[in-house]
Amino acid sequence: MEPAIETWRDILAPQAVDLVLLAVFAAAALVSFFTKSVRGKYATLVFAVAYMGFSKSHLISVVDIFGVIDRSLPVVKYNIGYYVFGVFVLASTVLWGRVYCGRICAFGALTQLLDAVVPKRLRIEPPPAIERRAAWIKYGLLAFVVVYFIATRDLLVYRYVEPFWMFGLFATTPMWIGLAVLLLATVFVRNLYCRFLCPVGAMLGLISNVTVFKIKRWSECRTCKICEKTCEWGAIRGPKIVESECVRCDDCERLYMDQQKCPHWLIQIRRSRPTANPSAAPAPPAAPSIPV
Amino acid sequence: MLQRLVTIVAIVCSGGAAVLLAQRIITNPKPEAELKQLFPGAAAFSPLGGEPLHFKVYGVDPKANPSAAPIGYAFWTTDMVPQEHGYHGPIHILVGLDLKGTIAGAIVDYHSEPYGYFSVEPPKFAAQFKGKTIRDPFVVGRDVDAVSRATISISSATRAVRDGSRLAASKLLPPEVTK
Repeated sequence: MEPAIETWRDILAPQAVDLVLLAVFAAAALVSFFTKSVRGKYATLVFAVAYMGFSKSHLISVVDIFGVIDRSLPVVKYNIGYYVFGVFVLASTVLWGRVYCGRICAFGALTQLLDAVVPKRLRIEPPPAIERRAAWIKYGLLAFVVVYFIATRDLLVYRYVEPFWMFGLFATTPMWIGLAVLLLATVFVRNLYCRFLCPVGAMLGLISNVTVFKIKRWSECRTCKICEKTCEWGAIRGPKIVESECVRCDDCERLYMDQQKCPHWLIQIRRSRPTANPSAAPAPPAAPSIPV
Repeated sequence: MLQRLVTIVAIVCSGGAAVLLAQRIITNPKPEAELKQLFPGAAAFSPLGGEPLHFKVYGVDPKANPSAAPIGYAFWTTDMVPQEHGYHGPIHILVGLDLKGTIAGAIVDYHSEPYGYFSVEPPKFAAQFKGKTIRDPFVVGRDVDAVSRATISISSATRAVRDGSRLAASKLLPPEVTK
């Protein structure tokens, strides 16, 4: 009979390939995030859809929330990748916010890639008032599924509140119809599911209230609307960034760095330029940024 | 904002408390039909008992012949290896073991795996354990069919059958079988 005692080799060998790929993916996500690279971000999104999505179906799901609630989680040593990923998602949310939603979640990556290929004229921008209210739906949905699960212990509710099963390609006809409707709606309203419906996004949104490293704002942001208009996630309202809606897509941060577009830099440049009036002394450097 | 946040947190917390009080879904307490399916030739089964918990399988009714020895054993993987968890909790599998350490069959009775309907639920998953011995490797992808995207569930159920059978064999079968 085989020895009952497993060596670390027995435990790690079957997981090695996936652990390496997971590490490569996490590195790609972090590198693209820190370099603010557009190309890097799209590479991460494609990686997310192909590997985390269609190959592994490894997404954070309400089922994981259910697992935490009744402490029914997989065995750690046989599922190291599962826990590494879970800790990575939680840590990144505490450190920077919903980075997971912006580039790691395979479904979010899929809808963002969809958004990149859909013609812009088809898009409908919901009015801010509706957008703001709709963003609350996901919290309602999160509360509902958690209460529903506790009351009925029916885990299968996940099929109807999130479409992540699609990567497994196993579903009933009503589920496929629901997914088709959702994806069709996403063509017109970008990232509809992530912004308004996703219970996992709501959970991460709650956690992002304690985010440590927030996006910096200039004093000029009080009046400037460039970033607010650019934000595809409806996360900028006046001078404030709503952390629970922000998925750290980098769009506004790329504008901050652009000395041709961001008023913060434009004002600074104008001030330091010698003026027609010879008595005008060169202005002091720009006011320090104020984090909001 | 804060008020709503507090409300959500309160709902989640009270839900958690309800879970602690709620009775857990229990394994089928009298799996007569399932035992019969594993050992069609058996005359009688003992109630669940012993250490570790198991059913004794008799070829002749022990009421008629009290000295009859069991012809095999059956057990729940959840009793043998309670620490084994799938994606969401333990997978309850009834396993039959003959006196030579060969698996007479396995039946998945209850699971709460999210993708269970295409991983551990189809009867052909459990059916492949029939005829395996406690000496077989039970490696998913080699001698156990792998189901893509359901590795956590499939591997957990496979380990439960393997480790449960080996433990049952070492505790219940004569020592020369497991030597």
